[in-house]
Amino acid sequence: MAEGTNDKAGSGRRKTLISLSGVTKKYQKNGKDLEAVSGCDLEIAENEFLVIVGPTGSGKSTLLKMIAGFEPPTSGEIRLEGELIKGPGADRGMIFQEYALLPWRTVLKNVELGLELKGVSGEKEKKALAMNYIDMVGLTYAAGKYPVELSGGMKRRASLAMILVTKPKILLMDGPFNALDSKTKLTLHNEIVRIWEHEHNTIIFVTSELDEAVKLSDRIAVMNKRGQISRIIDNPLPRPRFGKEALAPDFHHRFVALREEVMNEVKIGAGLEACTI
Amino acid sequence: MKMGSKEDNIQSGSGMIVDFIKGRAFYLLGILLFLAAWQIACTLKGFGDFSEAFSPLSAALALLEMARNGDILHHAIPSLRRVLVSLSLAIVFALPTGVLVGYFRQLEQITYVPFQFMRMISPLAWMPIAIIIFGVGDVSVTFLLWLVAIWPLILNTVHGAGRVSPLWLNMAKTMGAKDMGILSKIIIPAAIPDMLTGLRLAVGVSWIILVPAEMLGVPDGLGYFILDTRDRFRYDQLMATIFIIGAIGYLLDSANRWLISKFAWKI
Ligand SMILES: Nc1ncnc2c1ncn2[C@@H]1O[C@H](COP(=O)(O)OP(=O)(O)OP(=O)(O)O)[C@@H](O)[C@H]1O
Ligand SMILES: [Mg+2]
Repeated sequence: MAEGTNDKAGSGRRKTLISLSGVTKKYQKNGKDLEAVSGCDLEIAENEFLVIVGPTGSGKSTLLKMIAGFEPPTSGEIRLEGELIKGPGADRGMIFQEYALLPWRTVLKNVELGLELKGVSGEKEKKALAMNYIDMVGLTYAAGKYPVELSGGMKRRASLAMILVTKPKILLMDGPFNALDSKTKLTLHNEIVRIWEHEHNTIIFVTSELDEAVKLSDRIAVMNKRGQISRIIDNPLPRPRFGKEALAPDFHHRFVALREEVMNEVKIGAGLEACTI
Repeated sequence: MKMGSKEDNIQSGSGMIVDFIKGRAFYLLGILLFLAAWQIACTLKGFGDFSEAFSPLSAALALLEMARNGDILHHAIPSLRRVLVSLSLAIVFALPTGVLVGYFRQLEQITYVPFQFMRMISPLAWMPIAIIIFGVGDVSVTFLLWLVAIWPLILNTVHGAGRVSPLWLNMAKTMGAKDMGILSKIIIPAAIPDMLTGLRLAVGVSWIILVPAEMLGVPDGLGYFILDTRDRFRYDQLMATIFIIGAIGYLLDSANRWLISKFAWKI
């Protein structure tokens, strides 16, 4: 079923950037094998915005970590532009479910880290580039603060700026907007779509919020409790999806219909038992 | 606290002094009690016939004498120089070693037993060997001090470099960091608080080992001067030298505490 939907999106003018075939990841749990991700086939096109949803424990983070190169699949292959992924790289910027700010650096210095690693050395240049993204995530007033002084939401926004400033070709985002207030979330939705349209990156975005999934995605992949991709749903809603356009007469209706469809699929997937073998 | 001192600024200088003493009353009390107990014990001849010479008052007079005739500087400076030279050499060797051992797990396993074994040996036990290799004098003393300073530096750095959060490493890797970038941007700064703790311990133990080490045939230094005053039966100067050793040790440790409060990041 997954393959059928893939073909539809993949056969357009966009070329395939990442391809997963038969990707499985097993972990040991209480002496038993646990399939966190099970037989996933997926093709992600260049400049696509793919959202992955699924119940908790369905393997979304695990799938993302394998694409990032932090963990190898137990079996199956993940290819990036035809090359097997061997480890993490600057072309795939990952935003982690847990934030990873360096406690000895201020927000500004944390955001500058990626630039330093890339070899940008001019202090002024570094600061200007970093402040761009700090402003964007709404942390201007906290640029000089240390991570201990930040709230959870501020830490999330800071880690977002940290990765965005490195302009990765592929953005892997694991619940980046979880636990943010709705106003910040709205701003960041706008910004991430603007960045995506402007910089033509490819985004794989994990979330548990279906509104967010429908609002952002080109396609939505639904994972179930067994770590399988149970369905890939195309999102035909026209862009832009913010502001006035969202007021078009049938937009709301179509939005809700799509969300219900996704919700149904997630519910079915959550009803299954996790697969231990 | 801040508000209070601001008001005092407006009030008067004597108000500030009172404020300063108030905050430290018990520290001052501790010092006074310590000196008083020492003086009383000496006056009551608690330490035998020479008790008078051991008293804080005689020591204070001897201290003045030694300040005037230059003995203090003449012996304190070589001692400080030996400690600082050996510490610098220890830092240059121990910090990189500690970072590498902490970062590469195999290296930690390879070095574990030798390091734990070596660090339990008093450097003074190496003294005859040091003298055979380096001869009597400065080099031997410096070597012994180096040998005692490297262990706290190495082991604390290993600890700091080893407990770096895997999240930080993953984050750096997803930004394209390679080994060098990870070492310089993540591992080393992450280990700085532990390095400073190691430094504080190293300074403390070096200063302690310095005195016996300087009794091994060098012509100056506070350890040498202890023996010299003994031989001249100048027990008041001996007490004064003991006081100087304690005071310099205290200052060195304070400098370290300042470094820690300034440069060690906290979670
Ligand atoms: N390192 C690991 N070792 C053992 N089991 C793991 C490991 N990582 C994940 N798992 C297990 O794999 C399954 C999938 O975990 P994963 O974190 O990918 O889920 P998720 O879909 O991201 O969940 P959530 O929505 O709660 O973030 C879970 O059952 C989890 O306990
Ligand atoms: Mg997850």
